[in-house]
Amino acid sequence: MKLMYAKTHEWVAIDGNKAKIGISDHAQHELGDLVFINLPAEGDSIVAGESFCDVESVKAVSDLYAPVSGRIVAVNTELESAPELINSDAMGAWICEVELESEGDDLMDEAAYAEFIK
Amino acid sequence: MKLITEKSIAGQRCATIRPLEVKTETLEKSFLRSELKLPEVSEVTLARHYTELSRRAFGVDTGFYPLGSCTMKYNPKINEEVAGLEGFTHVHPLCEEEDVQGCMQAMYELTERLKAITGMDALTLEPAAGAHGEYVGLMLIAAYHKKRKDSKRTKIIVPDSAHGTNPASAVMAGFEVVNVPSDENQGVDIEALKKVVGDDTAALMLTNPTTLGLFEKNIKEITEIVHNAGGLVYYDGANLNAIMGVVRPGDMGFDVVHLNLHKTFSTPHGGGGPGSGPVGCKAILKDFLPGVVVELDKKGEYVFAKPSHTIGKVMPFFGNFGVCLKALAYIKTLGAEGIKEASQNAVLNANYIKKGIEDLYPTQTGRFCMHEFVISCDKLKAETGVAAMDIAKSMIDNGMHPPTMYFPLIVHEALMIEPTETESKETLDEAIAVLRKLHKEAYENPEQLKSAPHHAQIFRPDEVMAARKPVLKG
Amino acid sequence: MANYLTNTDSQVKEMLSAVGVSSLDELYADIPADLKLKKLEIEKGLSQQETLDEMKAMANKNTDYKVIMRGAGAYDHYIPSVVKYLSSRSEFLTAYTPYQAEMSQGILQSIFEYQTMICALTGMDVSNASVYSGATAAAEGVLMTKAGAKTEIIVSDNVNPRNLEVIKTYISQRGMTVTVIPSKNGETDLNALTAAVSEKTACVYTEQPNYYGIIEPATYIGEIAHSKGGKFIMNCNPMTLALLKTPKECGADIAVGDAQPFGLSMSFGGPFLGYMAANDKEVRKLPGRIVGETVDKEGNRAFVLTLQAREQHIRREKALSNICSNQAHCALVAGMYLSAMGTEGLKEVATTCLSLAHYAAEEFKKAGAELKYSGDFFHEFVTVTKAKASKINEKLKKEGILGGLELDKNEMLWCFTETVTKADIDKVADIIRRA
Repeated sequence: MKLMYAKTHEWVAIDGNKAKIGISDHAQHELGDLVFINLPAEGDSIVAGESFCDVESVKAVSDLYAPVSGRIVAVNTELESAPELINSDAMGAWICEVELESEGDDLMDEAAYAEFIK
Repeated sequence: MKLITEKSIAGQRCATIRPLEVKTETLEKSFLRSELKLPEVSEVTLARHYTELSRRAFGVDTGFYPLGSCTMKYNPKINEEVAGLEGFTHVHPLCEEEDVQGCMQAMYELTERLKAITGMDALTLEPAAGAHGEYVGLMLIAAYHKKRKDSKRTKIIVPDSAHGTNPASAVMAGFEVVNVPSDENQGVDIEALKKVVGDDTAALMLTNPTTLGLFEKNIKEITEIVHNAGGLVYYDGANLNAIMGVVRPGDMGFDVVHLNLHKTFSTPHGGGGPGSGPVGCKAILKDFLPGVVVELDKKGEYVFAKPSHTIGKVMPFFGNFGVCLKALAYIKTLGAEGIKEASQNAVLNANYIKKGIEDLYPTQTGRFCMHEFVISCDKLKAETGVAAMDIAKSMIDNGMHPPTMYFPLIVHEALMIEPTETESKETLDEAIAVLRKLHKEAYENPEQLKSAPHHAQIFRPDEVMAARKPVLKG
Repeated sequence: MANYLTNTDSQVKEMLSAVGVSSLDELYADIPADLKLKKLEIEKGLSQQETLDEMKAMANKNTDYKVIMRGAGAYDHYIPSVVKYLSSRSEFLTAYTPYQAEMSQGILQSIFEYQTMICALTGMDVSNASVYSGATAAAEGVLMTKAGAKTEIIVSDNVNPRNLEVIKTYISQRGMTVTVIPSKNGETDLNALTAAVSEKTACVYTEQPNYYGIIEPATYIGEIAHSKGGKFIMNCNPMTLALLKTPKECGADIAVGDAQPFGLSMSFGGPFLGYMAANDKEVRKLPGRIVGETVDKEGNRAFVLTLQAREQHIRREKALSNICSNQAHCALVAGMYLSAMGTEGLKEVATTCLSLAHYAAEEFKKAGAELKYSGDFFHEFVTVTKAKASKINEKLKKEGILGGLELDKNEMLWCFTETVTKADIDKVADIIRRA
């Protein structure tokens, strides 16, 4: 399994032709207490670099951008009623899983991302 | 405090009506609902409940309310009496014109006065609020381009400093939104504007004074750039209170304007409505106006006329007529000179507060502000941890309503202060003193401010819980 | 004239010098001279006394109808004194939208109570803080149902034409279409509706009672709407919900309407009060303000504007609606009215309306009028008379009575509320008989 990050602070865990997507701990910290996630739907196609989902804090809404392209095969519906899971465990709270078509440009590994957010 | 539903005691009664004089009609059982539960209270319980609620509300009549962009001026009581006249309240909207000449005269007189103030050729009173007016104004623009078969014009240009309603209204009217950045003087960046206008430009939306409270000096050039590209220019009337009788949107080159009668024309806000958002336009757009407009015929009678290419209705009848009456009473009392004085003094009051605090709170310097100005608490936050929000909440402890917070988005830690013309020098001096005192306290005892308010109805509410696990009824 | 300014000339001078200018005009240095207005062309200001006299003279020009037998979207109901007096407290009138919860608990709680009562009346799970009118509530409701290829709205031709006009305006730029199906004997034609709904149907929109006052077979309409995955929107006169099946019980997904009958005067058509309520599932699509209950840091009950990230000021061009202000003060009045009436009181008002209307229908029939439709009605109905409707209304006008709305040369849409007496109805029946 390979863990990568986008410049827009999403993580993607690639395992063969499947990839799970979430947001980084740094991102959840910047966004503050999340109160809602507008989840994508199973079966939707996402395109690397394009918005696929948005999250709400009390006074803001932020788009999340797909780190990879592919078709969504699973959605973490637990987040629907408990978006706070992203705050408490950003790396565990995956948002969706895709059948991988291609990776986005400029993905970073963990070390590069740690440097990026310094 | 308990909800009125929690004070309910089965069997208690308040208002009563005339006993039924005819046979009681009953409906077939299949039509009937299950149990209904409304509050059951006596009149004294009701009176005390709402009096207590009113004591837990803060209005212009309670104290200073410098909420930027909202124009919280004093609301003359004559407005209420006028709108409450039975000759106006007890009028059904679906009557023959001959039965409602008084209502139509009021609509006509208000229309004419608002046209004169804005420099527009025609105007509708139908929109119910500012956002509704924006929507109507943009629909006029859509209809105009459509009639000219200029179908490429799908984009509305909005400055990055604009209120969120502007882009939302543009989408409601079927447009795409293009953002244009502000220049270093926080006006529209002319070069950036030139780059984005083109044959797909439907219109530019602007407020002037801008959301930073500054008059856009290049306004004539800006409106010409858009017109030369074949687009129209929309005036968001949120900030009209700075310039009435001094300069008119129509003369600056705007083609369509919406007003907020509840802001600029003192009709009160009512805790968030009802408002009224008349839309004025130049002659090229008048055939598209919604609903009906009132005209005065040769016999001296008022008649309704339907614009030839109307966009359709946006309200069931004639808009918030009762609110329009209040605005008319206000304008009649002020007259031409009073209207201008109102704006001049709104600008003076804003500059006076600005002068009193600008050494402590960074703001735009070197220029006079209009009716409002924006301070930044960015430096204060960096040095003390005290944010704009904390200053705002601390004002509550000092008996004042906070300014608008975190708007416009282009200023970090923004507080937008609009005192309005009706405030006295004493009140302004007090506000200056409070803001200076809070600045000092931020350095001496930041924790006190960060946990403010301390003497309000409640401490800071848990908004995260409210949004995560919504409880929306009692 | 009055200008509501506070400062004296010498205070203004003092302030000008503090700012560093010698005249008010200097503050406008940023405005190019050639743009400045030479003279504002409106009349000189009047004293308050003169303004009041002028406005009274205007009000007196309107025909003074003592009795109103017309509805069709605006209803003359008795407004209890306690509602008029309490709602005019200036803390309510002069407040802004309750952004600052710590000093706006009264306004927030009044909206929360209003939401609670709208939910009780409609049976729905959630209500917003109100919108501009029943017509815009209907239009916003319709927009909520657009989803993918589902873009068509189906309505029967028996809905209020003004509501339909507003819906048409709202959808005109939003890629939705409306299909109007003919009604049968004034009611929604269930067969025609079944034939009309398809996978493209975003919603079926129905009014209860419909424009002609008839009680619609709402449950069946809802089933048909849902059969192809569309939503069901009901626009109910909320006064009738004191007795009639709730939208929830009829299977509605969204309930809308105008709550003007609850303590708001007709005022030539506004301000009125659009209510919107929905099932839990729809809450994030519901436009406008919503008030929620929470606690402060000490655990005290607190009310706040919530779910704000749905709204235009945060979501900007991605917001589902641009609405900002609601009709908060009207919602306050409606909440007060419902509390003043209570469960039994509201049922009494509704029963009185229903009974007077049925009495009137019988008396008008005895006087030679016919009812155009045979369906069950609530407090509005349509008559067909031999005499011209305009002639009947002319005669009624002499008696200070506003008669039914003329739908056609010989057709009138009547409405009866508790403000009408038996004697009034008898008088009208007599006029119909002799017309």
